Amino acid sequence: MPSATGEPGASEPMRAWKFLDVGRIAPFGGHVWPAPSGSAPGAWIRFPGREVFACRIDDLPWWIAPELWEVELERPLRALETQVAAPAGRLLRRVTSWDEPALRAYGDACAERARTLAVDALEREGRAGDAESLRAPRSMLELCRAARALAVDAAERTSSNLAGYAAESAMRAAEGVAAASANITANAAIIASGDPAAFHRERTWQSRWIAERCGLAPLAALAV
Amino acid sequence: MSVARPRDLACRELVELLTEFLDGVLDEGTRTRVEQHLVLCPGCTEYLRQFRATVSATRKLAEEDLSEPVKENLLDAFRHWRTGS
Repeated sequence: MPSATGEPGASEPMRAWKFLDVGRIAPFGGHVWPAPSGSAPGAWIRFPGREVFACRIDDLPWWIAPELWEVELERPLRALETQVAAPAGRLLRRVTSWDEPALRAYGDACAERARTLAVDALEREGRAGDAESLRAPRSMLELCRAARALAVDAAERTSSNLAGYAAESAMRAAEGVAAASANITANAAIIASGDPAAFHRERTWQSRWIAERCGLAPLAALAV
Repeated sequence: MSVARPRDLACRELVELLTEFLDGVLDEGTRTRVEQHLVLCPGCTEYLRQFRATVSATRKLAEEDLSEPVKENLLDAFRHWRTGS
């Protein structure tokens, strides 16, 4: 069995992470991944002519779902831009620290990043009072309302545009759609910096947040 | 990573791609964009669920399950649909 942090041999299975819906249901295929039993992994999932997909840590923000599992993947692996493909996979253990509060906290953290981007832009544009009004809200719904009020001229001013993004990000966080909150904030980062690479930097921050919250060790084994 | 990112898919575009998505005939890039949109969009996720349920229910229907009036109504609807009247 390869270590989660070590570099196994080329013929050994690899470990990765996989988001599933409640009840180990694949979000898109709709099939149920077999559960591990005690210390024994779940049964291998393999589809004729089709691969299974899993995440490296950097991929996690793209595939948010209610359950997070550590999985074992059969070689050969194919590294894609936002996931890893393998001929087969099986569940090893559920990451129990990824739960409803963690999902909510992740959405809130992403919305807070969008708020910071908007506040910084308001200050840069000399709108100190508006920046203060955006700092004040305590809840996501209050933040959404305050930001929306500042976004009325979003087409004219970058700071107002970013307030609009902050409003949307906070709204999605309040609704519990953390993945959308994260995506909106990553797009806001492009607006704030004018640099398309800011999107990926924000995604990296998001993946680190999840890894830290859930205590996920970097899987060196996933260097495919 | 600094490569350009494909534009996010709009809900309308996803609806147009749904049949091909379910048939598994989309190219890898498009399929990934559909799936990434579904992660972000509870509305489209629900639409996909209903679409799947409808397909599953209609698969169970055989011609003999339909009463004559229902069959006639359906055939009539299809005739008008094809002629555009």
